[in-house]
Amino acid sequence: MSAALDLEGLTRVHASGSAPALDGFTLDVPAGSCVAVLGPSGSGKSTVLRLTAGLDEPTAGSVRLDGRDLAGVPPERRGMAMVFQRPLLFPHLSVRDNVAFADRVRGVPRRRARERAEEYLGLVQLAGYGDRPARALSGGQEQRVALARALAAEPRVLLLDEPFSALDTALRAEMHDLLADLRLRLDPTVLLVTHDPAEADALADAVAVLDGGRLQQAGPLGELYARPASLAVSRLLGGRTEVPGTVRDGVHTSALGPLALPGPVPDGPGVLVVRPEAVRVTAPGDPAADVTGTVVRVRRRGLRALVVVQVPGPVGTAVEAELAAGEELPAGRPVGLVLPVGARTVVPPAGPASAPDPARSAISHG
Amino acid sequence: MALGTRLGRAALAVWLLLPLVPLVLWAAADRWTAPAVLPQAWGTAGLRDAVDSGAGTASLRSTVLGLVVAALATPLGAMAGRALAGSGVPAGGAVLAALLSPLVLPPFAVALGLDVLLLRLRVPASVGVVLLLTVAALPYTTVLMRTAYAAHDPGFEEEARTLGATARRAVLAVQLPMLAPALAGAAFLAFLVGWSDYVVTLLVGGGQLVTLPLLVASAASSVGNEAQVAVLSLGSVLPPLALLVAVGLLGRRR
Repeated sequence: MSAALDLEGLTRVHASGSAPALDGFTLDVPAGSCVAVLGPSGSGKSTVLRLTAGLDEPTAGSVRLDGRDLAGVPPERRGMAMVFQRPLLFPHLSVRDNVAFADRVRGVPRRRARERAEEYLGLVQLAGYGDRPARALSGGQEQRVALARALAAEPRVLLLDEPFSALDTALRAEMHDLLADLRLRLDPTVLLVTHDPAEADALADAVAVLDGGRLQQAGPLGELYARPASLAVSRLLGGRTEVPGTVRDGVHTSALGPLALPGPVPDGPGVLVVRPEAVRVTAPGDPAADVTGTVVRVRRRGLRALVVVQVPGPVGTAVEAELAAGEELPAGRPVGLVLPVGARTVVPPAGPASAPDPARSAISHG
Repeated sequence: MALGTRLGRAALAVWLLLPLVPLVLWAAADRWTAPAVLPQAWGTAGLRDAVDSGAGTASLRSTVLGLVVAALATPLGAMAGRALAGSGVPAGGAVLAALLSPLVLPPFAVALGLDVLLLRLRVPASVGVVLLLTVAALPYTTVLMRTAYAAHDPGFEEEARTLGATARRAVLAVQLPMLAPALAGAAFLAFLVGWSDYVVTLLVGGGQLVTLPLLVASAASSVGNEAQVAVLSLGSVLPPLALLVAVGLLGRRR
């Protein structure tokens, strides 16, 4: 059932003269795997799915399924079913006939199609809901039916466009478990689009980070957390510590002082990023401390607190650190910080193109 | 329901139904002279006169005219509305204004002017009537379908496509059923244009196409047969009313 999907150099310019919504996007989705495209609103991630499904034509580049180029193949003959953020259940059909839709359009007799629909409703734990009108369901149930309807089409690739974003936290976690379970049973190839790193983490084997229509980095999410390739990736994954400085001979020099780097980094200007989870907070006099500073803000995050530590210097430099569960530190307390060598990553400084631009993300969505 | 809402609805119903009361009374009156509050003699003379004057064939003609106008103006309006709801029509505002112009131009002037043209082109009278009335119905169907298409999420068809439906199948199996209430409303309005028209049928039809409104008008222009006029009038009011209820029920079911 599942097939390998291969996107190469996908580019889409919506209107001639405008900036491309997607620019030279390349991604391999091995058969049976789940790959997430992670990006903020307006990053072009929905465009990836629309081009893959054949709902839009790429300006350049190709979509290949098991090696076959799909250029010119209409959406209905690509063998890809899509679940959107809106459930889009056909309101004039019952739940069962919604799930049976794919079978019906491919000519399966009504009785057989409905029997199969019941099986898929059972898979998403909605057995017995078949007779209900599609609009008599809750949000979570609607999205389950949408998932069952897509799976009943037996797609070679399942495309998920932020399908769980509109659900509340508990329902979303439930849907994640359901999808993980369905992956075990049906082994589909899944291409998922999301803006939520936690969702990508819960569902995907690998992640491709998209920003401004360009692929920033691809790989297992753990790798992206540990070694972000750019400021955009670091920010998208929740990194907040960004210390500009200069690299020379494997040492980053900044307001934090000279800090040795774990691997070879080319000389020149670079921004040091460190995950808050990796930073260890100690006493200000601790000889192991790499830098000392003052707690200026405490942010609660469940059991753990996140502290912002201001390091004195000509330009105010802040480092964020996560405290151990239950640990407390008041604002104003001087502390020492240990930045483990392995957690130090240097990324190129932000160019004018990749600087955060609040206006852009406010305009377009998806 | 709040008391105010209920009172408002009652007032509205009275406002709409009150004019029908004298009509119903007249239709069943064999004799009703001036000072009397109610008819002095009840009977079916009005009904008999109406049937004798050809009410049966006239309402059949009106029905066929209304159906033909609806059958032409609804798909045309749906196509125009769909195109105008998107952004693909160059100078869409001007196109919409042209389609709405039959609402602004006095029908008498249009019918008289086009009558000459249609005669010169040797267009048969009944075809001419249908053509003109279809144009007259287009503003209603276009505006209604434009609103319906603007509110319709094209994502439904895209979902159907990824599930294996061809573009044509997606329209037939998903789009049209979802737009059925709007289509029914548009067809109802177009039917009414054909069913109730007087000016175009009279001028362009040249008196050959005797529909119900023509019969009502000719009966009303003479004196002494109020009961017959009342029966004919009721005959032209009640079928659309029944249709309206049917369309309303279809809309509510969804």
